[in-house]
Amino acid sequence: MAASLLELNEVQKDYRIRRFGRVVRSSNALNKLSFNVEKGQIFGFLGPNGAGKTTTIKCITGILKCDSGTISIDGKNIENNDFENKNKIGFLPEQIGLYGNLTPMQTLEFYGGFYNISDSTIEERGGKLLDLLSLNKNSNKPVSDFSLGMKKRLALAVALLHEPEILILDEPTSGLDPRGVKALRTLLLDLNKKGLTIILSSHVLSEVQEMCTDVGIINKGKMIRQESISKIIDTVEKTAIKLSLRLNEFTEKDQKILEKKKGIRVLEKNNIGKHKKIILNLKEDLIPWVTDKLVKNGTKIFSIEPHNTTLEDVFLTETGDK
Amino acid sequence: MNIEDLVVKANNRWKSLDVWQPLLIAISIVMIVAIAHKVDWETTTTNPSEIWESRKITENENETAIIFNQNHNDSAIIKGVLRTSPKFEVYTNETIVLGKFSKEEGIVYSEELYGKTMLNVSGMRILVNGNLDGEFYESEIVTVETKLVERIEYYEKSGQNITLTSEVWVAEPDDVKLASEKDYYYFALELLILGVGAYFTIKRTNNLKEQMGFAKHIALFELKRGMKAPRMIVLGLFFTLFIVGIGWLLGDLQNSQSTFVVQNGDDGIIRLAYFTFFVVSMAAIAVSVDSFHKERQSNTLNMLLARPVNRETIVLGKALGLSLVVGIPALLAQILGLYFMTSAGEMPSLGGMIAFLIFGQLLIFTMIAFQLCLAVSAKTGSDVVIYGLGAWLLFAVVWTLIVYAISFAIGVDINAENFENDANYQTFASRIGLLNPGIVYQMAVGLFTHRTIAIDLQGVPGWLVLLSLVLWPLMCLRTATWLFKREMRG
Repeated sequence: MAASLLELNEVQKDYRIRRFGRVVRSSNALNKLSFNVEKGQIFGFLGPNGAGKTTTIKCITGILKCDSGTISIDGKNIENNDFENKNKIGFLPEQIGLYGNLTPMQTLEFYGGFYNISDSTIEERGGKLLDLLSLNKNSNKPVSDFSLGMKKRLALAVALLHEPEILILDEPTSGLDPRGVKALRTLLLDLNKKGLTIILSSHVLSEVQEMCTDVGIINKGKMIRQESISKIIDTVEKTAIKLSLRLNEFTEKDQKILEKKKGIRVLEKNNIGKHKKIILNLKEDLIPWVTDKLVKNGTKIFSIEPHNTTLEDVFLTETGDK
Repeated sequence: MNIEDLVVKANNRWKSLDVWQPLLIAISIVMIVAIAHKVDWETTTTNPSEIWESRKITENENETAIIFNQNHNDSAIIKGVLRTSPKFEVYTNETIVLGKFSKEEGIVYSEELYGKTMLNVSGMRILVNGNLDGEFYESEIVTVETKLVERIEYYEKSGQNITLTSEVWVAEPDDVKLASEKDYYYFALELLILGVGAYFTIKRTNNLKEQMGFAKHIALFELKRGMKAPRMIVLGLFFTLFIVGIGWLLGDLQNSQSTFVVQNGDDGIIRLAYFTFFVVSMAAIAVSVDSFHKERQSNTLNMLLARPVNRETIVLGKALGLSLVVGIPALLAQILGLYFMTSAGEMPSLGGMIAFLIFGQLLIFTMIAFQLCLAVSAKTGSDVVIYGLGAWLLFAVVWTLIVYAISFAIGVDINAENFENDANYQTFASRIGLLNPGIVYQMAVGLFTHRTIAIDLQGVPGWLVLLSLVLWPLMCLRTATWLFKREMRG
């Protein structure tokens, strides 16, 4: 088993609103959150809005301090080794904040000044990164003239400048055009092959499913599931599958008959031309019972198609939306 | 909560202060030394006002007697403030009025007083058998080893010959010393202890070298950015013209008979310090008004916080950088102002000029750090502007009105003519002035126009002015850091 590079243990974080030094309101963001990321993983960090993803990332990157619990990188608590640990982390925030009056190289020089790297190394690495992220043509422009996608790429260059061990990306593809998304995906997979551990928080579940080796699903500040993607999908498939049927007719009565049976749920009903398409959620062994019932009621079945379980299904199931 | 819990809690709190432990221990020791210093001050010397107020004057038909509680030939070491510069010339043949009894001084003027100096030490009169003219100055704190002697003099009052049997405190010129001689040993010891504490605290600070490098990095970045900011160009031009103009005016006023009298170069530089504070504090607040709020809004702060840089370093770097943004043009403006003032008037003392320039930079740093406290606490952009403007108005504009109001509330008659020369008002105004960094700056410049810190500036000793001068920027910086850490904690 690979060694844990990042480990969160019972991390607790409340946001507090203060007036004149007194806490007037507080809300819980992380509730004894525990998970770990191993070296070389691409870890997808999932959760509905307000689940605590960004707060977790802010705690790991040192932007926020957690109230209790421990966050360790390479077994060292970040509280006591802030300097050493932050040198190991590259961070791309969701909301990019760059100084508008600086050029890309000046931006890299400013942020590079916080790491133990010489000016010449910053220039050399910075030049390569700007090339790699297709920003070299705009190297003399101030950042304020950049599009959101360009800013995102520049922020990624900042995150990679000091050659971190862990790259943390908060919604990295938001604001990028399809070409940019593809280029980013290729770059990240390439970096991962070279040994970079990546933590990716994203709402684009297809992207997470395509890129990530492991997934953690967080809800209400708590980790509810952490496993490799293949294992998660396997587990869900064992419990229930989706079945897509094209029928000549599907009445309310038919639906009531099907849903009376334990373990069957009608997820969708659509009209496709003269036909009806329904999607059912059911255990695999109930398929013959369904077809039998429908045929007995005089319904014609034109096609039966099992629906592949996606990460979206897992996500919705785990977060209680299904 | 029982005692054991309290002990455990205190122990944990102490452990959490790991880095600061040596400095906290040093501060505790310094406080003990300071208490010893105070006890030494109170017990080895006698309060001159008490002695003077305790005298009894009895005036009969042809006999006047002045008696103190002490016995003849009793000696005492007194410590107090010279209310006036010793004026030897009062007792020269030209001005002395022979045979006149002065109740204030308790003596009859006679030829015997020629060549002697009357000191006013915190109200107590001491006759010195020699010339002290030019050796001591007004406001200096002195110690005098003095002896009570009896004198019999005769004077005429309303045509009657009266005998004055008086007791007079006398001293030899060598018995009068600047109080600072002993105090310096205490201050040196306190400074040494603080230095040792600070040294070990610095040694315990993790990655200090790197963090100081980062502070410099942030400061230079802020400097480059600030110098190009349009608002700084406008403000720099404005305060340069203002300081130069006021400097020239204060120089010129030294030679005029105007009602706004500037007595000499030293008086001029103290007034120039106030006007410098007036405009420079506005510039300091203006450049730092949105430093944190803007960064929070544009998310650059999060990018910065994710670097291996401490929150303290960010605040220090910003405070230093913004101080340089205002400090560099301010220094040039101050030098120009001084040049024009000395061209038109007298040359101030060197100490005063150096203090004017160096403490000016410290004042700017203080105002920047103060504004950073407000900028960190403010929730919206308009809050930041209102807080900044409020701070400037408070310190630079309405301060005097507040002092008047509080003085009135505590019983000073502010409707009386020349109430500003009233000792009670002056003492109160000076003491409350320690709460205003601009007044502290002005007092510090005034202090350094003297040769010693053993000065009493209307009830405020020089060491307290110096302490305030050092504490103001440190407290503001510490508070800004604390607030920033608290705000960023979420």
